[in-house]
Amino acid sequence: MIKKWDIILIVTLLLLSFLPEGIFLATGSGTEKNTTYAVVQVDGKEYKTIPLTGHHGTDTFTVQTPQGYNTIVVKDQEIGIVDADCPDQICVHEGFLSKPGQTSVCLPHKVMIEVRSDDADPDIIRAR
Amino acid sequence: MNKTFRLIVLGLFVAQSLVLYIVEGMLPVPFIAPGAKLGLANLITVIALYSLPRKRDVFLILLLRVVLSTAFGGGINAFFYSAAGAAFSLSSMIILQKTGKFSLIGVSTAGGIFHNLGQVLVASAVVQNIKILLYLPVLTVAGTGTGILIGLTAYFTLKHLQKLPLYQRLQEA
Repeated sequence: MIKKWDIILIVTLLLLSFLPEGIFLATGSGTEKNTTYAVVQVDGKEYKTIPLTGHHGTDTFTVQTPQGYNTIVVKDQEIGIVDADCPDQICVHEGFLSKPGQTSVCLPHKVMIEVRSDDADPDIIRAR
Repeated sequence: MNKTFRLIVLGLFVAQSLVLYIVEGMLPVPFIAPGAKLGLANLITVIALYSLPRKRDVFLILLLRVVLSTAFGGGINAFFYSAAGAAFSLSSMIILQKTGKFSLIGVSTAGGIFHNLGQVLVASAVVQNIKILLYLPVLTVAGTGTGILIGLTAYFTLKHLQKLPLYQRLQEA
């Protein structure tokens, strides 16, 4: 029923399907990763830059502005504002950001988080 | 085969593959990999490939199945994926069957793998990123498993079909 040639054929095809893997690995184009990082701005000035790619664990810090505070949490490869004393709480409702181009803004405090990437992706429109 | 007989046989094959396609859509997907499917409808293609003398009829069955399954479920994107997969898989199966070296199981498994190749090529053309090809091994491993199962099922189905007098009429071109 199942012939010797069948097994040879199936194994060959399976191995061939790994060929793109090998080519990308050899040329190195498959291994490079786009690094994503988050930029925290206060009143238009850069306050902090946090690399997101390869980040593990949870980091918490608070941005103090003359208008109030924003507590920012970096959880693994995501960043978000978890607490603020602003009246509208829009930045808190924005949740966690992970993709380049996403932003979380606290207008009353003039705090802005933007996720950026080194990769020149034409689909991303920067929030500036 | 006269015209009416051929029409009925083709209609039966198309109807059966469509039913299998719809039933497959109702099954919960047991695979983690998106895009990996059982490929039950391919069963009919394999049976048709081995029971119909003319490859043109097999092509017709597959074409009708792809077009009608697009009408029943799945949008225009799904159509391109299945059309490319079907074209790759059918051509590879016909060529491999012609060599005579491989059994039904080998032919069906190769068909499954080439179906995956066709889909991945369309996917990389759609998103314009050749790196989609890195996803190919995941699909081919799954495709090998389902291909062997489909081959076994087709083998036993054909074994019993051959006892029917109707089957002899199919062979008369």
